[in-house]
Amino acid sequence: MNNRNIVRGLFLGAIALSFGLGALQYPIGSFARAGAGLFPLLVSGLLLLIALLTLLRARFEKPVPLGFSLRNIGLVLVSLCGFALVSEKLNMVAGIVLMVFVASLASTSYSWKRCLKIAAGLVAVAFAFQKLLGLNLPLV
Amino acid sequence: MMDILHNLAFGFEHALTWQNLLFCAIGCTVGTLVGLLPGLGPLATISLLLPLTYSIPTGGALIMLAGIYYGAQYGDSVSAITMKIPHASSIVACIDGYQMTLKGKTGLALFTAGVSSFIGGTVAIVVLSFLAPSLGEVAFLFGPADYCALMLVGFVCVSFVTTGSLLNGLAMCLIGILLGQIGTDVNSGLQRYTFDLPFLAEGVGLVSIALGCFGIAEISKNLDAREERTPFNGKIKLMPTWPEFKRIIPSALRGSAIGSFLGILPGGGPVIAQFAAYAIDKKVSKYRHEIGQGAIEGVAGQAAADEAAARTSFIPLMSIGIPENAVMALMMAAFVIKGIQPGPNMIAGHPDLFWGLVASMWVGNCFLLLLNVPLVRYWLSVFKIPYNVLFPAILFFCCIGTYSVNNNLDDIFVTAVFGFAGYLFMRLDMDAAPLMLGFILGPMLEENFRRAMLISRGSFHTFIERPISASLLGLVALFIGWQLLSFVLKSRRTGSEATPPVGESAVS
Repeated sequence: MNNRNIVRGLFLGAIALSFGLGALQYPIGSFARAGAGLFPLLVSGLLLLIALLTLLRARFEKPVPLGFSLRNIGLVLVSLCGFALVSEKLNMVAGIVLMVFVASLASTSYSWKRCLKIAAGLVAVAFAFQKLLGLNLPLV
Repeated sequence: MMDILHNLAFGFEHALTWQNLLFCAIGCTVGTLVGLLPGLGPLATISLLLPLTYSIPTGGALIMLAGIYYGAQYGDSVSAITMKIPHASSIVACIDGYQMTLKGKTGLALFTAGVSSFIGGTVAIVVLSFLAPSLGEVAFLFGPADYCALMLVGFVCVSFVTTGSLLNGLAMCLIGILLGQIGTDVNSGLQRYTFDLPFLAEGVGLVSIALGCFGIAEISKNLDAREERTPFNGKIKLMPTWPEFKRIIPSALRGSAIGSFLGILPGGGPVIAQFAAYAIDKKVSKYRHEIGQGAIEGVAGQAAADEAAARTSFIPLMSIGIPENAVMALMMAAFVIKGIQPGPNMIAGHPDLFWGLVASMWVGNCFLLLLNVPLVRYWLSVFKIPYNVLFPAILFFCCIGTYSVNNNLDDIFVTAVFGFAGYLFMRLDMDAAPLMLGFILGPMLEENFRRAMLISRGSFHTFIERPISASLLGLVALFIGWQLLSFVLKSRRTGSEATPPVGESAVS
């Protein structure tokens, strides 16, 4: 099961099926008068075909192990979502500080002093963007 | 001929205003700076810097975007030469460029790359100003069916060129098209795949996808790899001797011609142009035995081709209105955000924008030469920033970039989702560049497909009866057939190697 080619085929198949089944909920119409569901149905049909071909091809090729580590991508995503949530509830300065402190957990070494410096620098950049470029940032 | 000179003069009038000069300079500088950063190729750089152009008048914004694009392209090759950090856009520069660095000839390599890029860019601009208007007239012959066929050709070519595997690339294109379906259907007003979320009603944000798949995913990959790079500290001697300089010219001219040509073809662009120019230099150059071990030709030819193709790939976008690779698709989206629809009507309808852009490319060329050749040593200090400091900053810029498209914090969640998707794609060895193209062309493909079917009353014959679409689809069929054949042959060969007795008995 730990074969990248097979996982890829299954993954593509899952996407094709979810979009294809979704398309069936919309009016299909005919080719001459296409409904909203016709085009996505066609495209997901093609994608399903490619998924099957990928699975078929995986049988003829040497298996490639799938490398996957959830830690770093997880930390990055948590820091992004944290930034958005805190910026919405509180303000963006707090969001930036939170993001830097969470994201830095993924770096090779952790030092809160460095995080503080980075956060301070980025807050300064954000203020510069707001004042000089006129971006509408909810900083405070 | 006189027309073109007249038009170019008109263009320079627009490009040489103080304001536009400033935008061009800012674009080139910022583009180079961000392009130098590890893990950020042209696609991520452009989408990251897109918000900068929102508050700028249209003409200036286009000029700045173009500047960002070739700045990023150039910054990439600098990081490739000095530190062997390849992005997709500068793999070839790593070969001879880095070899020259190892020999202590970094300065010469950078000078060669700078001058060759300048030559390549200049040649490409001449090609661009001759070809784009006349190709634009061809575009008026295109009907909806022909547009569909042309987009399919683009998908097939891009899939093959960027990923090397037609199946993977096409899959990514199709996923992109499906993602483009999210939002309100233009024809019926029905909301598709929105799950009743209000911020999806207008579709998924382009910047969210680009930053997710190319920015966030790339950062996570670099964090996974955890390689500490030693910053470049060597001395740089820039000026070449006269015999060295003479070696640059023929190779750069060859590269410019190849790059200009390959840049126009669907699926073409800088990457394939570099490989082609490098391969040809290896065949015909006077110093071909040195190529691969740090020869000037190995850097000059590919740098010229790179720059030339980067510029001529604007031709299909601006004359026909169909972007031919992912970067151009992003450019097109940026044009549309500014209210300009690229296509045959752009040259006629907005001559000031078109010719101003063409002229500004040459101005940008001069800026790049100025920025890069004498000042390159200052750029290299960017590499002294450790990645632990850099990546939170890149994340921050991703957030700001996403947010300022609509001033909406919800978009950041969308970016996060695509960051995860991009990471999955990367781990599954699927290149996200075709996805970008599919996403941007998807709605156009649907529109033209529906229109073609409406005109033909539901008959697929229209695709075969129209000469343009028939020949384009023939190309697609030929290409897919060739791919199938080569796959069967390859698997048969490896199959027979695995079981030699059978193969031998078959021969005997």
